[in-house]
Amino acid sequence: MMTFADLVQSLYAFAMAWGIPYVVFALVVMAIQVGAVIGYISVAAMFLIWWERKISAHIQVRFGPMRVGGWHGWAQSIADGLKLLLKEDIIPRGADRVVFVLAPMVVFAASLAAYVTIPWAPGLIVRDLNIGILYMVSISSLTVVGIIMAGWSSNNKYSVLGAMRSAAQAVSYEVPMVVALLGPVMLAGSMRMGALVEAQAQGAWLGILPGWFVFPQILAFLIYFICALAECNRLPFDIPEAESELVAGFHVEYSGMRFAIFFLAEYANMFTVSAIATTMFLGGWHGPWITLPGLSPGLSQGLFGLAWFQVKCYFLIFVMMWLRWTLARLRVDQLMDFSWKVLLPLSFANLVITGWVLVAGTQILLMVLGVLFVVALAVGLAGRARGRAATGTARG
Amino acid sequence: MTPDEILQQLTQRFGDAITEAEVKGAEVRATAKAEVAWEVCRFFREAGFEYLNCLSGADWTSRLEVVYNLSSLQQPAKAHLRVPVPREAPVVRTVTDLWPAANWHERECYDLFGVRFDGHPDHRRILLPEDWVGYPLRKDYADERMVPYTEYGMEEKLPRAEGEKPAAKAPPRPAAAPAAAAPTTPPPEAPKPS
Amino acid sequence: MSEMSAPLPVGTTVMMERTGESMEEMYVNMGPQHPSTHGVLRLMLKLDGEYITDCVPYVGYLHRCHEKIGENRSYTQIIPYTDRLDYLASMSMNFGYVMSVERLMGLKVPERAEYMRVILAELQRIASHLLWLGTFGLDLGNFTIFIYCFREREMILDLFEAVSGQRLNYSFYRIGGMAMDFPETWVEDCRRFLEWFRPRLPEYDALLTDNILFQKRVQGVGVLPARTAVEYAASGPMLRGSGLRWDLRRNDPYSIYDRFEFDVPVYDSCDVWARYLVRRQEMAQSARIVEQALAQLPAGEIQAKVPKTIKPPAGQLYARSESPRGELGFYLISDGSPKPYRYKVRSPAFVNLSVLPEMLKGCLVADCVAVLGSVDIVLGEIDR
Repeated sequence: MMTFADLVQSLYAFAMAWGIPYVVFALVVMAIQVGAVIGYISVAAMFLIWWERKISAHIQVRFGPMRVGGWHGWAQSIADGLKLLLKEDIIPRGADRVVFVLAPMVVFAASLAAYVTIPWAPGLIVRDLNIGILYMVSISSLTVVGIIMAGWSSNNKYSVLGAMRSAAQAVSYEVPMVVALLGPVMLAGSMRMGALVEAQAQGAWLGILPGWFVFPQILAFLIYFICALAECNRLPFDIPEAESELVAGFHVEYSGMRFAIFFLAEYANMFTVSAIATTMFLGGWHGPWITLPGLSPGLSQGLFGLAWFQVKCYFLIFVMMWLRWTLARLRVDQLMDFSWKVLLPLSFANLVITGWVLVAGTQILLMVLGVLFVVALAVGLAGRARGRAATGTARG
Repeated sequence: MTPDEILQQLTQRFGDAITEAEVKGAEVRATAKAEVAWEVCRFFREAGFEYLNCLSGADWTSRLEVVYNLSSLQQPAKAHLRVPVPREAPVVRTVTDLWPAANWHERECYDLFGVRFDGHPDHRRILLPEDWVGYPLRKDYADERMVPYTEYGMEEKLPRAEGEKPAAKAPPRPAAAPAAAAPTTPPPEAPKPS
Repeated sequence: MSEMSAPLPVGTTVMMERTGESMEEMYVNMGPQHPSTHGVLRLMLKLDGEYITDCVPYVGYLHRCHEKIGENRSYTQIIPYTDRLDYLASMSMNFGYVMSVERLMGLKVPERAEYMRVILAELQRIASHLLWLGTFGLDLGNFTIFIYCFREREMILDLFEAVSGQRLNYSFYRIGGMAMDFPETWVEDCRRFLEWFRPRLPEYDALLTDNILFQKRVQGVGVLPARTAVEYAASGPMLRGSGLRWDLRRNDPYSIYDRFEFDVPVYDSCDVWARYLVRRQEMAQSARIVEQALAQLPAGEIQAKVPKTIKPPAGQLYARSESPRGELGFYLISDGSPKPYRYKVRSPAFVNLSVLPEMLKGCLVADCVAVLGSVDIVLGEIDR
């Protein structure tokens, strides 16, 4: 069975045979890993930007990019990237140069560092830390530091206000996010990303559904997804970036390549949160696979796993984009209200119920599953009915 | 109250200060002296005219005039009040305490005619920049940047200095196209719902 | 407010100042260039933390001396200028103006022309409200509704282009009638448009009106009590959103509006939500009027006999009509000559905007955009 770990082992053996010191070997491997991840992020971000434009266009009954590169404007992102590269580098007078230049790097570095524990395929993970999910959430929250740096160093009071709002939003939505993530951790009994996927790869709910945690933890999944939207500053939580709001965003003074780095970091972040959701709730790389002719079963499973992981992640990203182009924006205070008064109590409730179920046994689990589902359905329908009733006589 | 009743009460109360008064359709038209303008307005306000449609100025060369158009949401009667003010010292008391709508209208009247409104809470120009000199809607407003308007083909009527040649004639207008029949292409089809 | 009303030097942009009153108070300038002020409007907001304590609108950036120009043009020559007043509702501007002149002259307009006027004015109301709906949703973060509304508006603009040759500033009404008749297939095209349009309104509801996020942004915000609305002479959806049943097409009928059956939507909650619903409902009602008018459209002349040079008898008149934004009034003084002696436009958005500071008191900064959107201003008619 040829896995990534085996590959590294054989390379190590090769290096030892040639007398290369371990340190050099380790650094080379790390450089390759970092290169691969950055390469993936760049290509993925470019694809996502193109995809977003296409999705938004089709939702809005238009076409989106059609010309650049021929088929449906697939090279549009490359053209945009080139354009941003060639733009003049403007640093506002009075801006703190060092902090101004560092801020996008901090944001990008924090987003990049979270890719260490993403389980792409069975055995394909940069480092399967035993505190995997804790590491990911903590490191990605360092982007807030970069945002505050950006806002403060721009020498623009609007930027500062925008950055403060963004930071407040990010921090407020992290709390229910982390508490929601504790549900699957409790079910799997480990924070290691590999263990989480393996726990979902076995078993099945009610005999037919795959053993993914989304089924017992549907509430946690929804809470997590909403918080993920807020972390990425996506609509309906995009107050910090919205240009039609009174106070401009934190990156208003950035142009050219620096702005491109913020932009790239946003899409990298979107992928990260989708990857976390996929791993914790949708079974990661788990999915049906067959042995391809000419390849070992291990490698086939690896390839299929890689594909399934991508499919699930991009599906979640699609839902994020879909929401962006459909919903309106929440006001800052409504955003905070929602996080602290609605999401946080719900996530704690989920935690308590999960713990109780784990202690009490499977029958109760099924019963509680049913109750939760009914409650969620009732809340959703009530909200919809309230929306209709408020419109009242506005029919016809 | 019917317009006739309003007119009667008006003339009774103010007597000589109302120089003209008549009822035209549903509208009470009156001209009042500037000194009693505010009292007349208050009379109208109390008679039920709580809606100030329009407050404008007019420049009759001998005098300026402030015109109030009032109406009510409850009754069909309307009122049309004219208050002449002298050109040299055009002052009249503000009616913003009766109708807050008058605030911006009076600012515009001041801006374009130069009528001052005594007691206005925010007496400054509204449409023109703060440092504009002059009151453009007055008939005697002159500014060297103004371009006189001429009818097409009447360039020799433009004012010009001594010995200056008349302005060049504009090229002749092309002959009018024959009255168009219905256009042959109908507008594009409405897209089918997908 | 006194320190804010002292004249500021020309070109001042007050970004932020601390007053002596409170360490938290500051001034924020919005505009004249801003994506959400819908034109060149400058709003000076006085903030206490996140709450707006005062607001001073500065207008006049689009002042084009409309009234002075009007004094130097013949009555017919003014018609293209009225288009450019509220350029998003040119037909309504034309309508109000020619109606005022006709009233001054005592002129009777032929039946077919009256029907044409109503059809075009109501289609224009739908187009104007569609644009308002799209930009309102856009301001609140919903980009998609903007595209959807413009899709329908494009169809109306195509109809207008077929009839007048213009997409935006039509100059189609004439004193005594209309410039041209409808093209051959226009009535069927219009009917087809109405058929397409009818199911679109529930589509907008699904996207915006029924969405709880949108409702949370607009309910309870920008309250305008009925009394304040009347005191400030607000008109149109501002009054009807505050519970007052006042529509000039009903209460002071002009043209042939008394022949059509339509509802006047009135909502009581006095907030942005009420005004939103009023306009959304008005679109449906205007579609109803157009249908009835198309069915009743008679054949005949489209222009009354008027002298070559229009010289209304000496006199003065204030005539009002219901434009999509409210009460559009024209105050004309004629001295018997071919040009008006005084020509004043009472613009609905001008008067509606003056009540904005009252509505914004106690609102959050983020609500400013929603409240301003609900006033539905067009700077062309505010500044003339």
